[in-house]
Amino acid sequence: MELEIDGLRRRYGTVTALDGLTFDVPAGQVFGFLGPNGAGKTTTMRAIFGVTALDAGEIRWRGKPVDEAARRTFGYMPEERGLYPAMELFDQVEYFARLHGMDGPAAAKAAWHWIDRLGLSGRGKTRIDSLSHGNQQRAQLAVALVHDPELLVLDEPFSGLDPGGIDDMSAILKERAAAGVTVLFSSHQLDLVEDICEAVAIIYQGRLVISGPVADLRRGGRPRLAVRITDDKTADWSAGLSPSLGTVDSVRPDGTAEISITAGADAQQILDLARAAGPLEHFAYEDRSLSEVFRQATGASVGQAEAEHAAATKAAQVATGAGR
Amino acid sequence: MRNNNSFRTTWLVASREIRLRAKTRVFVITSVILLIAVALAVALPAILSGKSKPDKIGVVGGTTTTITGIITQAGRLSGGQAVAVSEPNQAAAEAALRNGDLSAVLVPNKEIIVKQVPLGGVSGSVETLARLAGLSKLIQDVPGAADAVAQGVTLPVRGLQAPSTSLSSRLTGLFTIVIVWVLISVYGSQIALGIGEEKSSRVVEVLLSSVRPVQLLIGKVLGIGLLALAQAVSMVLVFIIAGFASGSSLVHGATLNVVIAGGVFMILGYAFYCTAFAAAGSLVSRQSDVNSTIMPVQLPLILAYALSYTVIYANGANAFYHVLGFLPPTAPIAMPVLYAAGDVPVWQVVVAAVLTAAGTVWMARIAVRIYSNSILRTGPRISFRQAIKESRSA
Repeated sequence: MELEIDGLRRRYGTVTALDGLTFDVPAGQVFGFLGPNGAGKTTTMRAIFGVTALDAGEIRWRGKPVDEAARRTFGYMPEERGLYPAMELFDQVEYFARLHGMDGPAAAKAAWHWIDRLGLSGRGKTRIDSLSHGNQQRAQLAVALVHDPELLVLDEPFSGLDPGGIDDMSAILKERAAAGVTVLFSSHQLDLVEDICEAVAIIYQGRLVISGPVADLRRGGRPRLAVRITDDKTADWSAGLSPSLGTVDSVRPDGTAEISITAGADAQQILDLARAAGPLEHFAYEDRSLSEVFRQATGASVGQAEAEHAAATKAAQVATGAGR
Repeated sequence: MRNNNSFRTTWLVASREIRLRAKTRVFVITSVILLIAVALAVALPAILSGKSKPDKIGVVGGTTTTITGIITQAGRLSGGQAVAVSEPNQAAAEAALRNGDLSAVLVPNKEIIVKQVPLGGVSGSVETLARLAGLSKLIQDVPGAADAVAQGVTLPVRGLQAPSTSLSSRLTGLFTIVIVWVLISVYGSQIALGIGEEKSSRVVEVLLSSVRPVQLLIGKVLGIGLLALAQAVSMVLVFIIAGFASGSSLVHGATLNVVIAGGVFMILGYAFYCTAFAAAGSLVSRQSDVNSTIMPVQLPLILAYALSYTVIYANGANAFYHVLGFLPPTAPIAMPVLYAAGDVPVWQVVVAAVLTAAGTVWMARIAVRIYSNSILRTGPRISFRQAIKESRSA
């Protein structure tokens, strides 16, 4: 494993941000770091760059604790985007290339390369604060990519992007991963990114909920069947389903029953049961969404989790009298 | 290897500050304005004095052709005009000298009387005295003045009032502290604003993913400091060049030492305050809050600066001002003033400089800790007390 997150703990006053978080990120894949707002994603990413202190735990890169030299080979796009507003785009990108150890000519070459690659050609002499919001996002990505990092860490890279921007961003992440770079990005929009990443770690309340290849997680231990009978809006037919065959997880408004097949059971028997109840409209294996994977694992929906976090943050602010 | 990298990173940060600021219109314009102001301040009095009405030199007991000739020549040689005026007796001449009708009084065979003799003697003198000094020299140099010498025209110089440091030395002291004050407060607030900008624009998070806080801080104050130093050095050069070119008395003897002392304290003062301004800048989340956090940092400077005028225009400083001269936060302003006013010997200036340098180290250690602790904290403004408390526990 390229990047190992091992037992991270961090408390802010009464709030526990990280509670023994552990997971590994392999090279050459786009790896999603998912969870509701307040789960501890940003704290983890900041800890990778040493801009937040940890109470306990260790972060290793290629088997060794992350140090300053290693960080110079990392690229970072923080959640709170930030560049020097009065600096020209090229100067800005080149400056960060040099801060990461590139010499003058190499830094200039790389800066122009990424400015062109990200569709900012002709803007090299434009001040950052004169760029549009979308172009500022691209500039931020250029800064993260310019020194050809071996580990790319992006905090919520898809937030605030339009559909075209999401496609561009995911294309670049996939291209970098294909070039052998370890790519770790976070998102609280679990379903938005399920097609973008190959593997994920989903966290909640500072702990790992589940991790692994997206395809495996969505299929789950018990494959999912979606079955609908004509004119049966409440899926009454499924009352006769024996737990030895499967269990109904939920019924959609159109009457489609979502059934988890019991391990070792024969789906044909479920098909027979449904056909006996009436004309069969729909019968298919389906993948679960990542937000459903989250709900099954935690018992809370992503929305509920975020609402709880918002309320807890507010309470903590009232208790300490400080807005942070 | 690591040190090498560390220095390289710090220098990268510093050179960004220099490149970005040196090419701004504001910097170029203020530099030019400051240089012109310095040149005018030095050259104008000398230029104007050449065109002003002639200085009247009273001669007690009536003028002779030789004395009149010498006085006129002396006035011309010293770049102005001087005329001899006949005075009936010494009492009348001294009265005219007191109320300013006469610039000096010559009592043949006895003495030259001026209003006030400078402490430093003939060098570093007021204009009238410079001319009279020129007069004495002329008598020795010009052929045909031997008769006058025989009459005893090369005479001791006596002042009507108690001797004091020359006005030009005091004016140079004022000039020096105005520059120290302007440069420290202008560049200090640039440091604070620059750090406030990095914090409020959040670029600091990207920076700190590859740069240590102390490198960022040192690079910033080094870059801005080098710009300030370049501006100060060019102002001193203009001061000296314009002074010599216009024949100003500001560039003679003791006054030059005042400029040198001012230069040393300008560097020490910047070194002392730059990290404090940086710490103040790191406390805010919005750039507009910077002005209120740098106020406490500026207070000692403002105090010393305001009190300086009383020392420059009065004779001698009080004990309180002497104390300010040795405290690191106020010494950069107070000590050059005390020295220019002739109130302290050189060894005390050196002691104050050493104390300030030691204070700088102490200040830098506290400021770096406050900065490192506050730079990544967002939210409302952090108070100094809170920042110091937290930096201790961090």
